Amino acid sequence: MGDPNSESNQEPLLPDDSTSFLGILITSFSTIFLAELGDKTQLATLILSAQSGRPLIIFIGAALALISTSLLGVLIGRWIANNLPRQRFTLISGVIMLSLGIYLVTQGFIEYVQN
Amino acid sequence: MILTLLFTTFVTVFLAEIGDKTQLTTITLSSTTNKPLAVFIGSSLALILATLLGALAGGSIANLIPAFSLKLLSGIVFLIIGINLLSQSKKEFSNDIL
Repeated sequence: MGDPNSESNQEPLLPDDSTSFLGILITSFSTIFLAELGDKTQLATLILSAQSGRPLIIFIGAALALISTSLLGVLIGRWIANNLPRQRFTLISGVIMLSLGIYLVTQGFIEYVQN
Repeated sequence: MILTLLFTTFVTVFLAEIGDKTQLTTITLSSTTNKPLAVFIGSSLALILATLLGALAGGSIANLIPAFSLKLLSGIVFLIIGINLLSQSKKEFSNDIL
């Protein structure tokens, strides 16, 4: 209503931002799923240690906490995207991701050698 | 009693996860893409599913899949995303019409 120009039936896709909603969803899902799966041992222990009591409550509590941290992460990310120059942050993000990747691969390799 | 347990779990997991590499990933993904909702749904689903799997496997997920292979695999995914972002930033520098 307030935005008459948005009524045009076909918005031209920006070539740079053509990554689809589903694509981004799958990317975040698989990245975080893989990263968390190897990291989930403590949490599983926590759940197991409380299993005498009520595992469902523990699961709900953990799930709520994880949803909150990702919401917080998304909000921080939005804030950064709106307040810092995008190009520079893409570069910084790339460097962070590369460092995490190198760290994880090194860790995995060390664990492999130790076994 | 139930509420105490719920609250304790929430606080424990929340504090353990904050500032973790997972959250760093979420921050990175949501700031470099234009679809924060997709990142939120994707990461929440992944976290819940990973927790559920951990709970079902009862802490023995490392016995099913060796931890080093998970680390190697996720490390490779991070490397790919990192390279992707670097090339994207290069592209953004060359056409900053946005």
